[in-house]
Amino acid sequence: MEFEFRFDIVWNNLSLLLEGVQTTIVLSLLTMVLGTVIGLFVAIIRLRVKRIYAVPFIIYVEVFRGTPGLIQIVWIYYCLPIVTGFQLGELTSLVIAMALNVGAYLSEVFRAGIQGVDKGHIEAAAALGFRPGQITRRVVVPQAAYRMIPAIGNVFVSAIKLSSLCSVLGMAELMYQGQIIIANFFRPIEVFTVVAFIYLIMAYTTSLFMMYLEWKFAWVRRRDNSFWEKFKYISRAAFSLKPQGDI
Amino acid sequence: MPSLANTENKLAVEITDLHKSFGSLEVLKGINLSVRPGEVICMLGASGSGKSTLLRCINQLTVQDRGEILIYGDPIGFVRSPDGKMKEAGTGTLAKQRSHIGFVFQQFNLWPHRTVLGNITDALIIVKKLTEEQAEKIALDRLEEVGLTDWKDEYPSTLSGGQQQRVAIARMLAMEPDVMLFDEPTSALDPERVGEVIDVMRELAQKGHTMILATHELNFARDTADRAIFIDQGVIVEEGPAKDFFKNPKSDKLRSFLKRMGNG
Repeated sequence: MEFEFRFDIVWNNLSLLLEGVQTTIVLSLLTMVLGTVIGLFVAIIRLRVKRIYAVPFIIYVEVFRGTPGLIQIVWIYYCLPIVTGFQLGELTSLVIAMALNVGAYLSEVFRAGIQGVDKGHIEAAAALGFRPGQITRRVVVPQAAYRMIPAIGNVFVSAIKLSSLCSVLGMAELMYQGQIIIANFFRPIEVFTVVAFIYLIMAYTTSLFMMYLEWKFAWVRRRDNSFWEKFKYISRAAFSLKPQGDI
Repeated sequence: MPSLANTENKLAVEITDLHKSFGSLEVLKGINLSVRPGEVICMLGASGSGKSTLLRCINQLTVQDRGEILIYGDPIGFVRSPDGKMKEAGTGTLAKQRSHIGFVFQQFNLWPHRTVLGNITDALIIVKKLTEEQAEKIALDRLEEVGLTDWKDEYPSTLSGGQQQRVAIARMLAMEPDVMLFDEPTSALDPERVGEVIDVMRELAQKGHTMILATHELNFARDTADRAIFIDQGVIVEEGPAKDFFKNPKSDKLRSFLKRMGNG
Protein backbone atom coordinates (compact mmCIF):
# COMPACT_ATOMS: atom_id res chain seq x y z
CA MET A 1 0.00 0.00 0.00
CA GLU A 2 1.30 3.43 -0.88
CA PHE A 3 1.66 5.92 1.93
CA GLU A 4 0.59 9.37 0.98
CA PHE A 5 1.88 12.34 2.96
CA ARG A 6 -0.88 14.75 3.88
CA PHE A 7 0.98 17.88 4.91
CA ASP A 8 -2.01 19.98 3.90
CA ILE A 9 -3.60 18.95 7.20
CA VAL A 10 -0.72 20.58 9.03
CA TRP A 11 -0.80 23.73 6.91
CA ASN A 12 -4.52 24.10 7.46
CA ASN A 13 -4.02 23.96 11.21
CA LEU A 14 -0.82 25.94 11.34
CA SER A 15 -2.41 28.69 13.44
CA LEU A 16 -2.99 26.11 16.18
CA LEU A 17 0.68 25.20 16.14
CA LEU A 18 1.76 28.82 16.15
CA GLU A 19 -0.36 29.46 19.26
CA GLY A 20 1.53 26.59 20.82
CA VAL A 21 4.82 28.12 19.74
CA GLN A 22 4.00 31.26 21.71
CA THR A 23 3.40 29.27 24.86
CA THR A 24 6.55 27.23 24.29
CA ILE A 25 8.57 30.41 23.93
CA VAL A 26 7.12 31.88 27.12
CA LEU A 27 7.71 28.65 29.02
CA SER A 28 11.26 28.32 27.73
CA LEU A 29 12.32 31.90 28.31
CA LEU A 30 10.94 31.99 31.84
CA THR A 31 12.65 28.66 32.51
CA MET A 32 15.96 29.96 31.19
CA VAL A 33 15.83 33.12 33.27
CA LEU A 34 14.74 31.45 36.50
CA GLY A 35 17.06 28.51 35.84
CA THR A 36 20.01 30.86 35.41
CA VAL A 37 19.21 32.56 38.71
CA ILE A 38 18.93 29.21 40.49
CA GLY A 39 22.08 27.89 38.81
CA LEU A 40 24.15 30.94 39.73
CA PHE A 41 22.87 30.88 43.29
CA VAL A 42 23.66 27.19 43.76
CA ALA A 43 27.06 27.46 42.08
CA ILE A 44 28.13 30.41 44.23
CA ILE A 45 26.89 28.77 47.41
CA ARG A 46 28.75 25.57 46.56
CA LEU A 47 31.94 27.49 45.94
CA ARG A 48 31.68 29.69 49.00
CA VAL A 49 30.50 27.53 51.89
CA LYS A 50 32.11 24.62 53.65
CA ARG A 51 31.42 21.24 52.14
CA ILE A 52 28.97 20.19 54.88
CA TYR A 53 26.70 23.14 54.17
CA ALA A 54 26.86 22.45 50.46
CA VAL A 55 25.42 18.94 50.90
CA PRO A 56 21.76 19.95 50.38
CA PHE A 57 22.74 21.69 47.15
CA ILE A 58 24.75 18.72 45.96
CA ILE A 59 21.74 16.50 46.63
CA TYR A 60 19.50 18.92 44.73
CA VAL A 61 21.80 18.92 41.71
CA GLU A 62 22.19 15.16 41.64
CA VAL A 63 18.46 14.49 42.07
CA PHE A 64 17.43 16.84 39.29
CA ARG A 65 20.13 15.64 36.94
CA GLY A 66 19.56 12.03 37.76
CA THR A 67 15.79 11.66 37.44
CA PRO A 68 13.58 11.97 34.36
CA GLY A 69 12.38 15.49 33.63
CA LEU A 70 8.87 14.21 33.05
CA ILE A 71 8.64 12.80 36.56
CA GLN A 72 10.03 16.01 38.02
CA ILE A 73 7.38 18.06 36.26
CA VAL A 74 4.56 15.74 37.20
CA TRP A 75 5.78 15.51 40.76
CA ILE A 76 6.06 19.23 41.30
CA TYR A 77 2.78 19.88 39.53
CA TYR A 78 0.73 17.34 41.50
CA CYS A 79 2.64 16.51 44.66
CA LEU A 80 4.07 19.83 45.74
CA PRO A 81 0.63 21.28 46.51
CA ILE A 82 -0.21 18.11 48.47
CA VAL A 83 3.03 18.18 50.46
CA THR A 84 3.24 21.91 51.07
CA GLY A 85 -0.44 22.75 50.89
CA PHE A 86 0.48 25.54 48.57
CA GLN A 87 -1.43 25.84 45.31
CA LEU A 88 0.44 27.33 42.38
CA GLY A 89 -0.85 28.24 38.97
CA GLU A 90 -0.25 25.84 36.09
CA LEU A 91 2.32 27.99 34.31
CA THR A 92 4.08 28.87 37.55
CA SER A 93 4.50 25.33 38.76
CA LEU A 94 5.64 24.12 35.34
CA VAL A 95 8.20 26.89 35.07
CA ILE A 96 9.45 26.18 38.59
CA ALA A 97 9.78 22.49 37.81
CA MET A 98 11.69 23.10 34.60
CA ALA A 99 13.81 25.86 36.11
CA LEU A 100 14.86 23.51 38.91
CA ASN A 101 15.91 21.00 36.28
CA VAL A 102 17.73 23.57 34.16
CA GLY A 103 19.24 25.21 37.26
CA ALA A 104 20.78 21.92 38.34
CA TYR A 105 22.61 21.59 35.03
CA LEU A 106 23.55 25.26 34.87
CA SER A 107 24.93 25.29 38.40
CA GLU A 108 27.48 22.72 37.29
CA VAL A 109 28.31 24.76 34.20
CA PHE A 110 28.79 27.89 36.30
CA ARG A 111 30.77 26.10 38.97
CA ALA A 112 33.12 24.58 36.43
CA GLY A 113 33.47 27.91 34.64
CA ILE A 114 34.33 29.80 37.79
CA GLN A 115 36.68 27.12 39.06
CA GLY A 116 38.30 26.93 35.66
CA VAL A 117 39.78 30.41 36.00
CA ASP A 118 43.51 30.09 36.62
CA LYS A 119 44.24 30.67 40.29
CA GLY A 120 47.38 32.50 39.26
CA HIS A 121 45.32 35.17 37.47
CA ILE A 122 43.40 35.76 40.69
CA GLU A 123 46.58 35.92 42.75
CA ALA A 124 48.10 38.37 40.29
CA ALA A 125 45.15 40.69 40.82
CA ALA A 126 45.31 40.25 44.59
CA ALA A 127 49.03 41.00 44.58
CA LEU A 128 48.38 44.25 42.70
CA GLY A 129 45.91 45.34 45.37
CA PHE A 130 42.53 44.36 43.89
CA ARG A 131 39.81 43.78 46.47
CA PRO A 132 37.89 40.48 46.26
CA GLY A 133 34.87 42.05 44.53
CA GLN A 134 37.13 43.72 41.98
CA ILE A 135 38.85 40.41 41.30
CA THR A 136 35.49 38.78 40.66
CA ARG A 137 34.33 41.50 38.28
CA ARG A 138 37.56 42.14 36.44
CA VAL A 139 39.26 38.77 36.32
CA VAL A 140 36.89 35.90 37.09
CA VAL A 141 33.66 36.90 35.36
CA PRO A 142 35.11 37.96 31.99
CA GLN A 143 37.08 34.74 31.66
CA ALA A 144 34.45 32.40 33.07
CA ALA A 145 31.58 33.94 31.07
CA TYR A 146 33.32 33.45 27.74
CA ARG A 147 34.20 29.83 28.42
CA MET A 148 30.76 28.97 29.78
CA ILE A 149 28.72 30.27 26.85
CA PRO A 150 28.76 27.10 24.70
CA ALA A 151 27.79 24.93 27.67
CA ILE A 152 25.04 27.35 28.67
CA GLY A 153 23.79 27.16 25.08
CA ASN A 154 23.53 23.38 25.39
CA VAL A 155 21.39 23.66 28.49
CA PHE A 156 19.17 26.35 26.97
CA VAL A 157 18.53 24.28 23.86
CA SER A 158 17.64 21.32 26.08
CA ALA A 159 15.28 23.57 28.01
CA ILE A 160 13.27 24.28 24.87
CA LYS A 161 12.85 20.58 24.22
CA LEU A 162 12.18 19.93 27.90
CA SER A 163 9.16 22.22 27.67
CA SER A 164 7.49 19.69 25.36
CA LEU A 165 6.94 17.50 28.42
CA CYS A 166 4.49 20.08 29.73
CA SER A 167 2.02 18.76 27.15
CA VAL A 168 1.47 15.81 29.47
CA LEU A 169 -0.13 18.17 31.99
CA GLY A 170 -2.34 19.83 29.42
CA MET A 171 -0.26 22.93 28.89
CA ALA A 172 -1.20 24.15 25.43
CA GLU A 173 2.33 24.46 24.11
CA LEU A 174 3.65 23.33 20.75
CA MET A 175 3.73 19.59 21.45
CA TYR A 176 0.26 19.63 22.98
CA GLN A 177 -1.21 21.51 20.03
CA GLY A 178 0.42 19.03 17.70
CA GLN A 179 -1.14 16.14 19.57
CA ILE A 180 -4.55 17.79 19.30
CA ILE A 181 -4.19 17.97 15.52
CA ILE A 182 -3.07 14.33 15.51
CA ALA A 183 -6.08 13.32 17.60
CA ASN A 184 -8.38 14.97 15.12
CA PHE A 185 -6.84 13.86 11.84
CA PHE A 186 -4.82 10.75 12.74
CA ARG A 187 -1.77 12.03 10.94
CA PRO A 188 1.08 11.75 13.47
CA ILE A 189 3.96 11.53 10.97
CA GLU A 190 3.18 14.79 9.18
CA VAL A 191 2.36 16.69 12.35
CA PHE A 192 5.39 15.46 14.28
CA THR A 193 7.65 16.24 11.34
CA VAL A 194 6.50 19.83 11.23
CA VAL A 195 6.53 20.16 15.04
CA ALA A 196 10.09 18.84 15.11
CA PHE A 197 11.06 21.32 12.45
CA ILE A 198 9.62 24.20 14.50
CA TYR A 199 11.56 23.02 17.57
CA LEU A 200 14.66 22.91 15.41
CA ILE A 201 14.15 26.52 14.34
CA MET A 202 13.76 27.64 17.96
CA ALA A 203 16.79 25.66 19.07
CA TYR A 204 18.89 26.92 16.23
CA THR A 205 17.91 30.52 16.92
CA THR A 206 19.09 29.98 20.48
CA SER A 207 22.36 28.51 19.22
CA LEU A 208 22.94 31.49 16.96
CA PHE A 209 22.25 33.84 19.83
CA MET A 210 24.79 32.01 21.97
CA MET A 211 27.31 32.22 19.15
CA TYR A 212 26.71 35.94 19.01
CA LEU A 213 27.33 36.16 22.75
CA GLU A 214 30.50 34.15 22.30
CA TRP A 215 31.62 36.64 19.71
CA LYS A 216 30.73 39.51 22.05
CA PHE A 217 32.69 38.01 24.91
CA ALA A 218 35.67 36.78 22.91
CA TRP A 219 38.60 38.73 24.24
CA VAL A 220 40.86 38.03 21.32
CA ARG A 221 38.88 39.32 18.42
CA ARG A 222 39.50 41.31 15.34
CA ARG A 223 40.17 44.97 15.85
CA ASP A 224 37.55 45.43 13.15
CA ASN A 225 34.21 45.42 14.95
CA SER A 226 32.16 46.45 11.94
CA PHE A 227 28.77 45.02 11.14
CA TRP A 228 30.20 43.18 8.16
CA GLU A 229 32.82 41.43 10.30
CA LYS A 230 30.14 40.51 12.81
CA PHE A 231 27.93 39.16 10.04
CA LYS A 232 30.76 37.12 8.59
CA TYR A 233 31.59 35.67 11.99
CA ILE A 234 28.03 34.69 12.82
CA SER A 235 27.28 33.24 9.41
CA ARG A 236 30.47 31.25 9.41
CA ALA A 237 29.66 30.01 12.87
CA ALA A 238 26.12 29.24 11.77
CA PHE A 239 27.35 26.86 9.13
CA SER A 240 30.03 25.46 11.41
CA LEU A 241 32.77 26.28 8.94
CA LYS A 242 34.90 27.68 11.71
CA PRO A 243 32.88 27.81 14.91
CA GLN A 244 35.30 29.86 16.99
CA GLY A 245 36.96 31.64 14.15
CA ASP A 246 38.95 34.30 15.89
CA ILE A 247 40.45 32.43 18.76
CA MET B 1 48.97 56.75 47.52
CA PRO B 2 52.14 58.08 49.10
CA SER B 3 55.13 55.87 48.79
CA LEU B 4 55.97 54.19 52.05
CA ALA B 5 59.66 54.14 51.23
CA ASN B 6 60.16 57.87 51.43
CA THR B 7 58.29 58.39 54.66
CA GLU B 8 60.76 57.10 57.21
CA ASN B 9 64.17 55.60 57.49
CA LYS B 10 63.16 52.09 58.40
CA LEU B 11 63.91 48.58 57.31
CA ALA B 12 62.07 47.76 54.09
CA VAL B 13 61.18 44.28 55.25
CA GLU B 14 61.59 42.79 58.66
CA ILE B 15 60.61 39.19 59.22
CA THR B 16 60.66 37.67 62.69
CA ASP B 17 60.23 34.04 63.59
CA LEU B 18 58.05 33.12 60.62
CA HIS B 19 56.42 29.70 60.74
CA LYS B 20 54.20 28.05 58.19
CA SER B 21 52.92 24.49 57.86
CA PHE B 22 50.82 22.88 55.18
CA GLY B 23 49.09 20.07 57.01
CA SER B 24 51.79 18.13 58.79
CA LEU B 25 54.52 19.50 56.54
CA GLU B 26 56.37 22.36 58.16
CA VAL B 27 57.60 24.53 55.31
CA LEU B 28 58.99 27.50 57.23
CA LYS B 29 60.60 26.85 60.58
CA GLY B 30 61.30 30.22 62.09
CA ILE B 31 62.64 32.58 59.46
CA ASN B 32 64.29 35.85 60.50
CA LEU B 33 65.26 38.29 57.81
CA SER B 34 65.85 42.01 57.54
CA VAL B 35 66.03 43.85 54.25
CA ARG B 36 67.26 47.42 54.00
CA PRO B 37 65.73 49.80 51.47
CA GLY B 38 67.46 49.42 48.14
CA GLU B 39 68.89 46.04 48.97
CA VAL B 40 68.76 43.21 46.43
CA ILE B 41 68.48 39.81 48.02
CA CYS B 42 68.65 36.49 46.22
CA MET B 43 67.25 33.41 47.89
CA LEU B 44 68.67 30.12 46.80
CA GLY B 45 67.52 26.68 47.69
CA ALA B 46 66.23 23.45 46.23
CA SER B 47 62.59 23.26 45.21
CA GLY B 48 60.45 22.67 48.25
CA SER B 49 62.88 24.45 50.53
CA GLY B 50 60.38 27.17 51.36
CA LYS B 51 61.57 30.05 49.16
CA SER B 52 58.26 30.55 47.42
CA THR B 53 56.27 30.23 50.61
CA LEU B 54 58.43 32.87 52.25
CA LEU B 55 57.91 35.26 49.32
CA ARG B 56 54.19 34.58 49.27
CA CYS B 57 53.96 35.28 52.99
CA ILE B 58 55.52 38.69 52.47
CA ASN B 59 52.47 39.86 50.56
CA GLN B 60 50.09 37.46 52.31
CA LEU B 61 49.16 35.33 49.32
CA THR B 62 50.02 32.70 51.89
CA VAL B 63 49.27 33.54 55.49
CA GLN B 64 51.82 32.48 58.07
CA ASP B 65 50.89 30.45 61.15
CA ARG B 66 53.17 32.38 63.43
CA GLY B 67 55.60 35.27 63.18
CA GLU B 68 55.50 38.82 62.00
CA ILE B 69 56.31 40.61 58.78
CA LEU B 70 56.84 44.35 58.87
CA ILE B 71 56.96 46.38 55.67
CA TYR B 72 58.50 49.75 56.46
CA GLY B 73 57.53 49.23 60.06
CA ASP B 74 53.92 48.28 59.43
CA PRO B 75 52.73 44.72 59.92
CA ILE B 76 51.26 43.23 56.77
CA GLY B 77 48.00 41.37 57.11
CA PHE B 78 47.44 43.03 60.45
CA VAL B 79 46.56 46.42 61.78
CA ARG B 80 48.08 47.83 64.94
CA SER B 81 45.38 49.43 67.02
CA PRO B 82 46.22 52.46 69.20
CA ASP B 83 46.64 50.30 72.29
CA GLY B 84 49.35 48.32 70.52
CA LYS B 85 47.35 45.16 69.91
CA MET B 86 47.40 43.47 66.51
CA LYS B 87 44.16 42.90 64.67
CA GLU B 88 43.74 40.95 61.45
CA ALA B 89 43.45 43.36 58.53
CA GLY B 90 40.22 43.50 56.57
CA THR B 91 40.25 42.72 52.86
CA GLY B 92 40.33 46.41 51.93
CA THR B 93 43.28 47.16 54.18
CA LEU B 94 45.16 44.09 53.01
CA ALA B 95 44.54 45.06 49.38
CA LYS B 96 45.96 48.50 50.05
CA GLN B 97 49.00 47.02 51.79
CA ARG B 98 49.57 44.66 48.88
CA SER B 99 49.48 47.48 46.36
CA HIS B 100 52.80 48.66 47.81
CA ILE B 101 54.42 45.29 47.25
CA GLY B 102 55.16 44.08 43.76
CA PHE B 103 55.04 40.38 42.97
CA VAL B 104 56.34 38.66 39.85
CA PHE B 105 55.22 35.07 39.40
CA GLN B 106 56.98 32.15 37.87
CA GLN B 107 54.02 31.65 35.52
CA PHE B 108 53.70 35.39 34.65
CA ASN B 109 49.95 35.29 35.35
CA LEU B 110 49.00 37.92 32.82
CA TRP B 111 45.25 38.13 32.28
CA PRO B 112 44.48 36.47 28.96
CA HIS B 113 41.37 38.60 28.37
CA ARG B 114 43.25 41.90 28.54
CA THR B 115 45.75 43.33 26.09
CA VAL B 116 49.31 44.01 27.16
CA LEU B 117 48.32 47.61 27.80
CA GLY B 118 45.14 46.59 29.64
CA ASN B 119 47.10 44.24 31.86
CA ILE B 120 49.15 47.20 33.04
CA THR B 121 46.51 49.93 33.19
CA ASP B 122 43.83 47.90 35.02
CA ALA B 123 45.49 48.06 38.41
CA LEU B 124 46.32 51.73 37.96
CA ILE B 125 42.71 52.55 37.18
CA ILE B 126 41.05 50.19 39.65
CA VAL B 127 43.46 50.28 42.56
CA LYS B 128 45.17 53.64 42.18
CA LYS B 129 42.05 55.34 40.78
CA LEU B 130 43.94 57.05 37.98
CA THR B 131 42.19 58.21 34.84
CA GLU B 132 42.56 56.18 31.70
CA GLU B 133 44.95 58.69 30.12
CA GLN B 134 47.16 58.87 33.19
CA ALA B 135 47.26 55.10 33.44
CA GLU B 136 48.05 54.70 29.77
CA LYS B 137 50.92 57.16 29.97
CA ILE B 138 52.47 55.31 32.90
CA ALA B 139 51.91 51.96 31.21
CA LEU B 140 53.61 53.07 28.01
CA ASP B 141 56.59 54.38 29.97
CA ARG B 142 56.95 51.08 31.77
CA LEU B 143 56.53 49.13 28.54
CA GLU B 144 59.31 51.16 27.03
CA GLU B 145 61.46 50.30 30.01
CA VAL B 146 61.05 46.60 29.26
CA GLY B 147 61.26 47.15 25.51
CA LEU B 148 57.75 46.07 24.51
CA THR B 149 56.04 49.27 23.38
CA ASP B 150 55.22 47.75 20.00
CA TRP B 151 53.31 44.94 21.64
CA LYS B 152 50.90 47.09 23.63
CA ASP B 153 47.78 46.05 21.73
CA GLU B 154 48.56 42.35 21.59
CA TYR B 155 47.04 39.73 23.84
CA PRO B 156 49.37 37.80 26.14
CA SER B 157 48.78 34.53 24.30
CA THR B 158 50.59 35.91 21.25
CA LEU B 159 53.72 36.76 23.25
CA SER B 160 56.67 34.54 24.05
CA GLY B 161 57.32 33.57 27.65
CA GLY B 162 60.12 36.07 28.02
CA GLN B 163 57.95 38.85 26.66
CA GLN B 164 55.08 37.88 28.94
CA GLN B 165 57.36 37.99 31.94
CA ARG B 166 58.62 41.42 30.92
CA VAL B 167 55.01 42.63 30.66
CA ALA B 168 54.36 41.16 34.10
CA ILE B 169 57.35 43.09 35.41
CA ALA B 170 56.09 46.27 33.73
CA ARG B 171 52.68 45.70 35.31
CA MET B 172 54.31 45.46 38.72
CA LEU B 173 56.57 48.47 38.09
CA ALA B 174 53.63 50.65 37.10
CA MET B 175 52.31 50.39 40.65
CA GLU B 176 55.60 51.82 41.95
CA PRO B 177 55.92 49.24 44.70
CA ASP B 178 58.27 49.81 47.60
CA VAL B 179 59.35 46.20 47.69
CA MET B 180 59.55 43.87 44.71
CA LEU B 181 59.24 40.13 45.09
CA PHE B 182 60.24 37.76 42.31
CA ASP B 183 59.26 34.12 42.60
CA GLU B 184 61.57 32.23 40.23
CA PRO B 185 60.84 34.67 37.41
CA THR B 186 62.93 32.80 34.84
CA SER B 187 62.19 29.20 35.75
CA ALA B 188 59.31 28.81 33.29
CA LEU B 189 61.18 30.29 30.35
CA ASP B 190 62.98 28.73 27.44
CA PRO B 191 66.72 28.92 28.09
CA GLU B 192 67.26 31.41 25.27
CA ARG B 193 64.60 33.69 26.75
CA VAL B 194 66.08 33.88 30.24
CA GLY B 195 68.58 36.56 29.33
CA GLU B 196 66.06 39.23 28.36
CA VAL B 197 64.27 38.94 31.69
CA ILE B 198 67.53 38.87 33.64
CA ASP B 199 68.59 42.06 31.87
CA VAL B 200 65.41 43.84 32.97
CA MET B 201 65.86 42.71 36.56
CA ARG B 202 69.51 43.73 36.57
CA GLU B 203 68.48 47.19 35.44
CA LEU B 204 65.91 47.41 38.24
CA ALA B 205 68.54 46.40 40.77
CA GLN B 206 70.87 49.11 39.53
CA LYS B 207 68.12 51.70 39.91
CA GLY B 208 68.08 51.00 43.62
CA HIS B 209 64.81 49.12 44.00
CA THR B 210 64.34 46.89 46.99
CA MET B 211 64.14 43.39 45.58
CA ILE B 212 63.81 39.93 47.02
CA LEU B 213 64.20 37.13 44.53
CA ALA B 214 63.89 33.39 44.62
CA THR B 215 66.04 32.23 41.77
CA HIS B 216 68.19 29.50 40.37
CA GLU B 217 70.21 31.95 38.29
CA LEU B 218 73.49 31.78 40.17
CA ASN B 219 75.29 34.21 37.88
CA PHE B 220 72.63 36.81 38.38
CA ALA B 221 72.75 36.29 42.14
CA ARG B 222 76.53 36.52 42.17
CA ASP B 223 76.94 39.78 40.34
CA THR B 224 73.68 41.61 41.06
CA ALA B 225 72.57 40.71 44.54
CA ASP B 226 73.81 42.56 47.61
CA ARG B 227 73.14 39.59 49.76
CA ALA B 228 72.44 35.94 49.13
CA ILE B 229 70.49 33.61 51.34
CA PHE B 230 70.47 29.86 51.26
CA ILE B 231 67.30 28.22 52.52
CA ASP B 232 67.06 24.54 53.20
CA GLN B 233 64.07 22.72 54.69
CA GLY B 234 62.48 25.90 55.96
CA VAL B 235 65.45 27.47 57.70
CA ILE B 236 68.01 29.99 56.55
CA VAL B 237 71.18 27.94 56.56
CA GLU B 238 73.57 30.56 55.38
CA GLU B 239 73.51 34.19 54.40
CA GLY B 240 76.06 36.75 53.46
CA PRO B 241 77.33 39.20 50.87
CA ALA B 242 76.76 37.59 47.50
CA LYS B 243 80.43 37.63 46.51
CA ASP B 244 81.77 35.66 49.50
CA PHE B 245 78.73 33.46 49.50
CA PHE B 246 79.65 31.70 46.30
CA LYS B 247 83.40 31.76 46.83
CA ASN B 248 83.54 30.26 50.30
CA PRO B 249 80.34 28.52 51.26
CA LYS B 250 80.57 27.60 54.93
CA SER B 251 77.99 24.87 55.27
CA ASP B 252 78.15 21.48 53.60
CA LYS B 253 74.56 21.85 52.48
CA LEU B 254 75.29 25.01 50.52
CA ARG B 255 78.47 23.50 49.13
CA SER B 256 76.64 20.49 47.78
CA PHE B 257 73.77 22.67 46.52
CA LEU B 258 76.14 24.91 44.60
CA LYS B 259 77.88 21.84 43.22
CA ARG B 260 74.57 20.46 41.99
CA MET B 261 73.80 23.81 40.37
CA GLY B 262 77.10 23.65 38.51
CA ASN B 263 78.97 26.23 40.53
CA GLY B 264 81.94 23.85 41.04
